[in-house]
Amino acid sequence: MNPLALEGVEFHYPATETPALRDVSLAVAAGEIVALVGRVGAGASTLLLVAADLAPRITGGRLTGAVRRRARSGIVLPTPWTQLSGMAFTVWDEVAFGPANLGWPGREIARHVERALERLEIAALAERDPATLSGGEVQRVILAGILAMDPDVVLLDEPSTELDPAGARALWRLVRVLAGEGKAIVVATSDLDAVPDVADRVAWLEQGAVRALGTPDLLAEEATCAAGLGTTVARVWRAAGLDAPYPLTVADAVQRWR
Amino acid sequence: MRTRHPFTLLTLAAALPTLAWLLPAPAGALGTAAVAFGLAAAAGVRRVLIPVVTAAPFWLFLFVLHDLPTTLAIGLRITTMVASFVWLAAVLAPDRLVEAMVVRGWSVTVAYLFAATLSAVPLFRARARRIVEAQRCRGLSPRGSVANRLRALRALAMPLLLSALHEVDERALALETRGLRSGARRTPLAPPPDPALERAARWVVLLVCIAALVARLV
Repeated sequence: MNPLALEGVEFHYPATETPALRDVSLAVAAGEIVALVGRVGAGASTLLLVAADLAPRITGGRLTGAVRRRARSGIVLPTPWTQLSGMAFTVWDEVAFGPANLGWPGREIARHVERALERLEIAALAERDPATLSGGEVQRVILAGILAMDPDVVLLDEPSTELDPAGARALWRLVRVLAGEGKAIVVATSDLDAVPDVADRVAWLEQGAVRALGTPDLLAEEATCAAGLGTTVARVWRAAGLDAPYPLTVADAVQRWR
Repeated sequence: MRTRHPFTLLTLAAALPTLAWLLPAPAGALGTAAVAFGLAAAAGVRRVLIPVVTAAPFWLFLFVLHDLPTTLAIGLRITTMVASFVWLAAVLAPDRLVEAMVVRGWSVTVAYLFAATLSAVPLFRARARRIVEAQRCRGLSPRGSVANRLRALRALAMPLLLSALHEVDERALALETRGLRSGARRTPLAPPPDPALERAARWVVLLVCIAALVARLV
């Protein structure tokens, strides 16, 4: 049974005529990573809010269609600064904010917090004041705070935007590890070059609807490349006037040249 | 003072303005204002300036509208209120307040609202500073003539208000996903110690306030 499934979902933000999501159907299995790609305003963030049960419950608006959640979810929003609780003077307390709100016993909270800090490689920041951290560090702290709550469905909205390249690579490795542990993961990202190594499936969103759903090879197809949503290698191959199908990754391109 | 139990700090901050209004003026209000200023100064010398600047317009209006004894009485009371709040905002850590309230059985949502109100002032100030810096980079000067300053104020107010509203939206989503309204009773992470002496001191302060009220009414 899929931990998350959307069927024919349509969602309108309050006081808007145009739907932010139109007839979206998507099921995510345990251990699966689905990447949402699309232009700005395509509906990826809204889809994550719906999946997290924040829209329309908190945002307002109206939703039609069915959303089935069979597990607890955690969402990381794209702006890390607004996600700090403001109630913690150390990173450790910030990460523990969620588990404490769930009423877990102190020992269990400590275990999950320590593990999350190690996984995000921020154990050294445990005693720092969150207000003094860099954007990338805050991004990791927020992600650690969500992972410490041990959600079965992890929803990530542009999780690598504040990270440096090494930090982004570490994040994507962690995402794969989390999927290996059985978590269902949906990630909206504009880091298209990371998608082939990370995602099992890709959903291409356009004007609130799923235009295509498939394997990461989707990012090397003519239509996605024409929309500016192909991987760098595929778009360069296309721009050079070379024949389709375009290679998805550098390794694919090298193999094609030989 | 920062290490005192949050309820002790709250009690003191509430008692000073209460006594300022209940005790005979101007001596009573002068005494409470002096204590409030002393506490604010102990939290940081610059903090003394905030109540002075904030209360100044009130003093001006009072002086225009009333005679000197009334001006002194009301002005000192208002000054006590402002100085007490400034001191409280300086010494009361919001996370310790949440922990203390949760230990006493308050809902974490109510505790959070209470603490967020206290932490809003420094957050707003930091945001305003960032906006002023950004506007300066675009050539807007907050100094000079009154017209200049008014233009700068408008350029500060709109982004400050809009960004605050936007942040409220995002923070609501973030807090929701982090279980603030999970329905479970929050586990206190580090409950602040509440020594018997402080508990007794709180009762004494409360009794003093009640005695002042009775004396005022009788």
